[in-house]
Amino acid sequence: MRLQKKSQTEIIGLAIVVILLVIGMAFVIRFMIDKEPVDYKKQFTQAEIASNMINTLLKTTSQDCSGLSMTELLQDCAQSQGIFCQNGEGSCIYAQNTAQTIFTNTLELWKIDYEFKVFKQEENLIFTLGSRCPASKKSKTFPIPTSSGTLFIKLDVCG
Amino acid sequence: MKRKAQIQMLETMAVLLIFFILIVLGIVFYTNILKGNIGIQKEEVMQLNAIEISQRASSLPELQCSEENIVSENCIDLLKLQSASEIIPLNEVFYYDSLLFSKINITEVYPDNSRSWVLYNHTLEEFSNKIVTNIPISLFDPVTNKNSFGVMSVELFSR
Repeated sequence: MRLQKKSQTEIIGLAIVVILLVIGMAFVIRFMIDKEPVDYKKQFTQAEIASNMINTLLKTTSQDCSGLSMTELLQDCAQSQGIFCQNGEGSCIYAQNTAQTIFTNTLELWKIDYEFKVFKQEENLIFTLGSRCPASKKSKTFPIPTSSGTLFIKLDVCG
Repeated sequence: MKRKAQIQMLETMAVLLIFFILIVLGIVFYTNILKGNIGIQKEEVMQLNAIEISQRASSLPELQCSEENIVSENCIDLLKLQSASEIIPLNEVFYYDSLLFSKINITEVYPDNSRSWVLYNHTLEEFSNKIVTNIPISLFDPVTNKNSFGVMSVELFSR
């Protein structure tokens, strides 16, 4: 009888040890899972860049195209394509080259992948720069009114 | 009988020793996790500071474009920028409260990529971490009425 009581006490001790180990492991796992810091800066930068890039690009005055803004050049590109710049390029080519220069000196320099699209409808693409984002992205679309419908300028910042 | 008691005493001591070793290991492990968490929190706070400073810098009233008291978003007046880049470095203590240990640089990307202004330069000689935030921004020249494409680069330092 006395021996049975002793073995019962030992089993209770063993059970307590097991419970303590389980609690300890739960703590370890919990702390290990919550290890990664939240990347606030990346989230902010992506959203801010997508919006500011298009906003600034559209406001930018061309260097040698009668002082026209990028918005005006893109509008002409979507409408009559009647504007020719001092260097002989049409509005579409000039706008595309200017956008490419700007993206090369900004997003590509900062090693940020992007896709820049100018289109009337999804199937009526005027030009595109960069490459399609493979996974998540932050998008910004600016509509520009033209006489032949609405022109859309879209920038996807990948990451 | 005496010997049995000695063995039992030895057993108790061994159990206590193992128990204390486990407690010490637990404390060491917990301290390490706590240290890691503090590092993560520090990183997150620094990221939030970087965002805050870049937003403050991009909306400094000393630089903002305005017409008839209406402020244009995401735009820097070049005349204001030229004056501010001379005045702000002379009053770094005043700006420290809002811009902390950082360096704010504004560079023109298009059309002239050789122009650059250092707006604020209060850096740490020895730092453990540096966060760089680039914000595309429009540079408006009120004399020629033209907009250039610029980038505001905010570098935040921490010990």
